[in-house]
Amino acid sequence: MAFLEQHIHDAPTSFWSKYIFSFDHKVIGKQFLWFGIFWLGVGGLMAMMIRWTLAYPGVPFPLIGGLMFPHSGGVVPPDTYAMLFTMHGTIMIFFAITPILIGAFGNFCIPLMIGARDMIFPTLNMLSFWFSMLSGLVLLFSLTLPMGAAAGGWTSYPTLSTNIGQPGAGQTMWLVSLFLFGVSSTMGAVNYITTVITLRAPGMDYFKMPLTIWGIWLTAILNAIFVPVLGAGLLLLTFDRVFGTTFFLAGAAATSGKGDPVLFQHVFWIFGHPEVYILILPAWGITSDLLAFFSRKPAFGYKMTALSLTAITVLSTVVYGHHMYTTQMSPLLTQSFMTLTMLISIPSAIFFANWLGTLWKGSIRFHSPMLFSLGVVFVFGLGGLTGLYLASTSIDLYLHDTYFVVGHFHYTMAASVLLGGFAGTYFWMPKMFGRMMDERLAKIHFWATFIPLNGVFTGMMVLGYAGMHRRLYNPFIYEFLQKLMPINKFVTYCAIAMGVAQLFFLWNFFKTIFGKNIPQASANPWEVGTLEWTIPSPAPHYNFDEIPHVKCGPHEMGNPNLKTGRDYQYQTEELVKS
Amino acid sequence: MMTKAEQQTELKSFQNSVAMTVTLISFGMMFAAMFLGYFLVRFNSPTWPPVEIENMPKFLPLFSTIVMALSSLTYYMMENKPQQRKAYIALTLVLGLIFLGSQWSLWSALAESGILISNGNVPSMVYAFTWIHAGHIVIALGLVFWIGDFVFRRPEALTVGKLVNVGKFWHFLGVIWLLMYLMLFVL
Amino acid sequence: MDISIPHRLIGLVAQGSELVVKASEQMSLWERMQPPVDISTSGHLIHWLFNYTTYVNLFWFALVCIGLFGFSFLYWEKRHKKALYTHGNEKKHLMITAFIGLGVFLSVDLVITKVTTRDMKEVFWNFPVNDPELVKVQVLGQQWAWNFRYAGVDGEFNTADDVVQLNKLVVPVNKKVMIQMTAKDVIHAFYIPNARIKADAIPGRFSKLWFDTTKTGNYEIACAEMCGNHHYLMKAQLTVLNQEDFDRWVKESQQIAIATNDTENMDLRWGWKWESR
Ligand code: HEA
Ligand code: HEA
Ligand code: CUA
Ligand SMILES: [Cu+2]
Repeated sequence: MAFLEQHIHDAPTSFWSKYIFSFDHKVIGKQFLWFGIFWLGVGGLMAMMIRWTLAYPGVPFPLIGGLMFPHSGGVVPPDTYAMLFTMHGTIMIFFAITPILIGAFGNFCIPLMIGARDMIFPTLNMLSFWFSMLSGLVLLFSLTLPMGAAAGGWTSYPTLSTNIGQPGAGQTMWLVSLFLFGVSSTMGAVNYITTVITLRAPGMDYFKMPLTIWGIWLTAILNAIFVPVLGAGLLLLTFDRVFGTTFFLAGAAATSGKGDPVLFQHVFWIFGHPEVYILILPAWGITSDLLAFFSRKPAFGYKMTALSLTAITVLSTVVYGHHMYTTQMSPLLTQSFMTLTMLISIPSAIFFANWLGTLWKGSIRFHSPMLFSLGVVFVFGLGGLTGLYLASTSIDLYLHDTYFVVGHFHYTMAASVLLGGFAGTYFWMPKMFGRMMDERLAKIHFWATFIPLNGVFTGMMVLGYAGMHRRLYNPFIYEFLQKLMPINKFVTYCAIAMGVAQLFFLWNFFKTIFGKNIPQASANPWEVGTLEWTIPSPAPHYNFDEIPHVKCGPHEMGNPNLKTGRDYQYQTEELVKS
Repeated sequence: MMTKAEQQTELKSFQNSVAMTVTLISFGMMFAAMFLGYFLVRFNSPTWPPVEIENMPKFLPLFSTIVMALSSLTYYMMENKPQQRKAYIALTLVLGLIFLGSQWSLWSALAESGILISNGNVPSMVYAFTWIHAGHIVIALGLVFWIGDFVFRRPEALTVGKLVNVGKFWHFLGVIWLLMYLMLFVL
Repeated sequence: MDISIPHRLIGLVAQGSELVVKASEQMSLWERMQPPVDISTSGHLIHWLFNYTTYVNLFWFALVCIGLFGFSFLYWEKRHKKALYTHGNEKKHLMITAFIGLGVFLSVDLVITKVTTRDMKEVFWNFPVNDPELVKVQVLGQQWAWNFRYAGVDGEFNTADDVVQLNKLVVPVNKKVMIQMTAKDVIHAFYIPNARIKADAIPGRFSKLWFDTTKTGNYEIACAEMCGNHHYLMKAQLTVLNQEDFDRWVKESQQIAIATNDTENMDLRWGWKWESR
C-alpha cells in the first residue's frame, strides 16, 4: 500500500523555534495543554465566586474580594455576577475543555497513534494554536474593560446581546474572540481530518485505529461542519452591533427595521448541540481505550463502540431544537426534535454497555488513569440519563432554564469531560514529558475531586427540581427558594472542596515537569501495545525514524497464545493465533 | 507500476484535495447558515420582495454576476492552456478587481435608492451577504495573485495542486455569488 | 423603571441576609427538596412523567453501578490474575449490547415520548380558546418587570379602559386562564413555578400559555430567561382569588382604570387585539 513519507528535517535548536513558534505537533499539543490548564484555573476561580455569591448573598468574597470589587466592599455586584457566569461558561467550554481535549490530545495523539511523523500541515497547526492564543488574549482583555466583559450568558441570545442589552464593548470583543477561536478550530479540524485520512501508517485501517483517534476524528468532522455555522451567527450579530443591521432586533428595540431574535437561537444551537458532542467525543474515545488497557483485555465490541460513536455524531446534527422548546416552535418541529433526541440514547447505551463489557472478567489495574476512566463511566451515566428528562417537552416546561439543566450539563461536561481530560493527562504524561506523575498524589486528586464533584452536581439537580432557575444573582428574594439556602451552601462547600482538590493536580503537574530528580519514564510504563508506546519516552523528534507497519488491533491483550512473556502485543506485531 | 516519486506526488495531491474539500465544506456551511436565515425570513414575510427593497438596482448585480462567471471561465482556461497562462491569469485578476468595483458601486447605488442597512433584516441581508462575500473575494484574489506570481516569475515551481486548489476556491466563491444573486436580486 | 444599582444592591443585601434567617427555620432535607406546592390542574402530568423517568433511570443506573463496582471488585488484578481474552464481537455479545440499547430505548425513551406527546396534545397545546369563561390576560415583559393587561368594561383589549397592572396577576380559582405575551426589550421567560409552566416572552412575537388553578392564595411569578443584570429581580405576584373576590376585584379595578387611566398617553397602549387562535 502506497504511503506518504514525511521528510525528516533536523530538530530546531533556538528556544523560539523549539518551544514558541514550533511546527512540531508534540510541542503544539503541550502548548494547548498549558493554555487549557491556565484557563481551567481562571474559569474555576470564577466558578468559586459564583458559588460563593449563591451561598452567601451580600457577603464579601473571602481573601481577594476586597481587591476585585472595591466599590461594593468585596461583595460581587449583580452586573459582575452576570459577567462571571457568562465568562465562566465561555471560558470553560472554549478555552479550557476544547484546548485540553481537542487541542492537546488531538495534536499529541493523532500522529503518534496512527504512526505518522507529524500532522499533515504543520504550519496550519501552528497557526491554529496562535489563533486560539489571540482569541484568548482578546477575551482576557475584555475583562479589563470599564463597562466589563460580555454578560449575556454564554449563549448570548439577542436582543440582550445587541446594543440595547449590552451597550459596552465587552460583548463585541466576546464575538470577535469567539470568531477567532472558530477560525482556529476550523484550521485544526481540517488538519486532523486530513491527517487521519491520509497519514495512517501502512496496515492501520480505520478499524485498527485506537478509539481515542475515532473520538477525536469524529469531533474534528463536527468541528469542520458546525463551527462555521456559529461563525455566521457571530458575524451577523457583530453587524447588528457595529453596522446597525437588524437581523436579530425586534420589539421596541427595532426602531427602524425589524428582525427576529429567535433566528440567532436556531443558528446558535445548530452549532451548539453538536458542540457538546464535540467536547465529549474525545473523552469517550479516551475512556474506551483506557478501560481496555487497564482491564488487560481487548475493548469489548470495539467495532460496535466505534459505530455507535459515529451514529451519535450523525444524530447530534439533527436534535438541536431541544434547547428551544420554550420558544414555542411549531408542535410538529417540537415533536420531531424530541423523538430524534431520544434516539441518541440507543447508541449511547450500546457503547456504555460495551464499557461495562470491557471490565467484565478483566484483570483490572487501578492506576490513576483507570480510576479517572471509571469515574467517567459513573458520572456520564448520571449526566446522560438526566438528559432524558430534559428531552421530554412537557417536563422541560418545568425544568427548562432551571438548575436541573445546569446539573445535567455539568455532569456531562464538568464531570465526564473533565475527568476524561485528567485521565488522558495522567496516561500520556510519560510520553509527553518523559516522566511519570506522582501516583499517590494522583489518587488523592481523584478521590478529592470525585466525591465533592457528585455533591456539587447532584446538589444542582435537587435545586433545579425544587424550581430554582438559572443565572440568579440572589435566588433568595424568591420566597419559594428561601428554603434552598442550606442546599446551596452544601453545593458551595462541595464546589470549594472540588476546587481545592485541583491544587493537588497542579502541584503534581508542575512538580513532575520542573521538579528535580524525578525518575525518567520507561518507553512503555503502562504496558500497552498502541504505536506511541513502541518508541522511547518522551517521544523523539519526528516520532518514528522507521514508519511502523500495523498488523493487529489497538487492544490486543491477555491473548493466551502469547509466548513473549508479555500479556500484550504491539500493533506492529502479527496477531498470534494458536 | 509508478515510481516512488510519482506515487509521492500522487498522494500529495490527493491529500491536498481532501484538505481543500473539507475547507470548502466549512466555508459552505457558513454561507449555508446565512442562507437558512434568508429562507426563514423569506417564508415568514407576507410579500416578496418586501417594500424595503422594492426598487433595488437591477443592472449592477447582473453585471457582477457576468464578470464573476467570466473570471471563473478564464481561470479554467488558465488551468488547461499552459501556453497562454500569463494572459489568462492576468484576465482573471482584472475581472476579480472589476467585480469588487462593481460591488462597491452596488452598495452606493443601494444607498442612493434609499435602501439603508438599518431598514430591516432584508436590506441588512443584502448588505451583510455581499460584504461577507466580497471579503472572501479579497482573500481569493490574494491567492490568485500568488498563483500569478508563480506563473510570471517561477513557473517551474507551480504545482498542479496549488493551481487546482486555488481554482476550487475561486469557482466556489463564484457559485456562492450566483446563489446570492438569485436569492437577493432575481427570485 | 429606573434602577440605581447601589441602592438596589444594599436593599437586597439586607433582604438577602434577613431571608437567610427566615429560611433557616426547621425543615427536613426531604421537605426542602420538594418543588413548590402544585396549584395547577396540569402539574401532576409533569410529575408523573418525571417520577416514571426517575424510577426507570434508577433501574438502569443501578445496573451500571452493579457492573462498575461489581466488576471492579471481582476482577481486581489481585483477585483475577488472568483476563478473559474476548473481543466481545461474538453473536451473543452483540445480542446483549443491542438488547440493552433497545431496553433503554423502549423502557425510557419510547414511553416518555408517547406520554409527553399525549400530554402536550391533550393539555399544554390544547388552548381553551373557546371556553366561555376563559380569563384572558396579556403580558408584557420588560427589564425588569411584568406588565399585565385585562380587557376593561368594553371587553376589548388595548382600549383606554383596560385594567393594567404592574407585577401583579390576579386570577379566579378553578377557571382556565390564558395568557398571551410578548416582550418590550429583550427575551424574558414567564415562569410560574407553582403551576409547573413556562414560556419565553420574545420581542416581536406572541407566545401563549394557559393554566387552571386549584388553590387560592399568593404565589410567585419569575423570569426564567437571562435578561440582564437584574434578571433576578424580575419577580411578580400571582394572586388566586375565589370567584366572588375576583369579581369584586375586577369591578373595583375597572372603576379605578376608568378614573385614572391617562387616555392621551399612548405608551400605556402596549397591548394588542386578542388573538383568537
Ligand atoms: C458534553 C456535553 C453534553 C452531553 C453529552 C449531553 C447529552 C445529552 N443532552 Fe445535554 N446539554 C448540554 C451538554 C451535554 N448534553 C449542555 C451544555 C446543555 C445546556 C446549554 C445551556 O442551556 O446553557 C444541555 C442541555 C440539554 C437540553 C436542553 C435543556 C433545556 O435547556 O431546557 C436537553 C433537552 O433535551 C439535553 C438533552 C441531552 C440528551 C438527551 C443527551 C444524550 O446524549 C444522553 C445520552 C446518554 C444516555 C441516554 C445515557 C446512556 C445510557 C445508560 C447510562 C444506560 C445504559 C445501561 C446499562 C449499560 C446497563 N441537554
Ligand atoms: C466544561 C465546562 C464547565 C466546567 C468544567 C464547569 C465547572 C464548574 N461550574 Fe460551571 N458552567 C458551565 C460550564 C462548566 N462549568 C457553563 C457552560 C455554564 C452556563 C453559563 C451560562 O449560564 O451562561 C456554567 C454555569 C455554572 C453555574 C450556574 C451559574 C448561574 O446560572 O447562575 C454554576 C453555579 O454553581 C457553575 C458552577 C461550576 C462549578 C462549581 C464548577 C467546578 O467544577 C469548578 C471546579 C474547579 C476547577 C475545575 C478548577 C479549579 C482550579 C483552581 C481553583 C486553581 C486555580 C489555578 C490557577 C489560577 C492556575 N457553573
Ligand atoms: Cu426577565 Cu430574566
Ligand atoms: Cu443539546
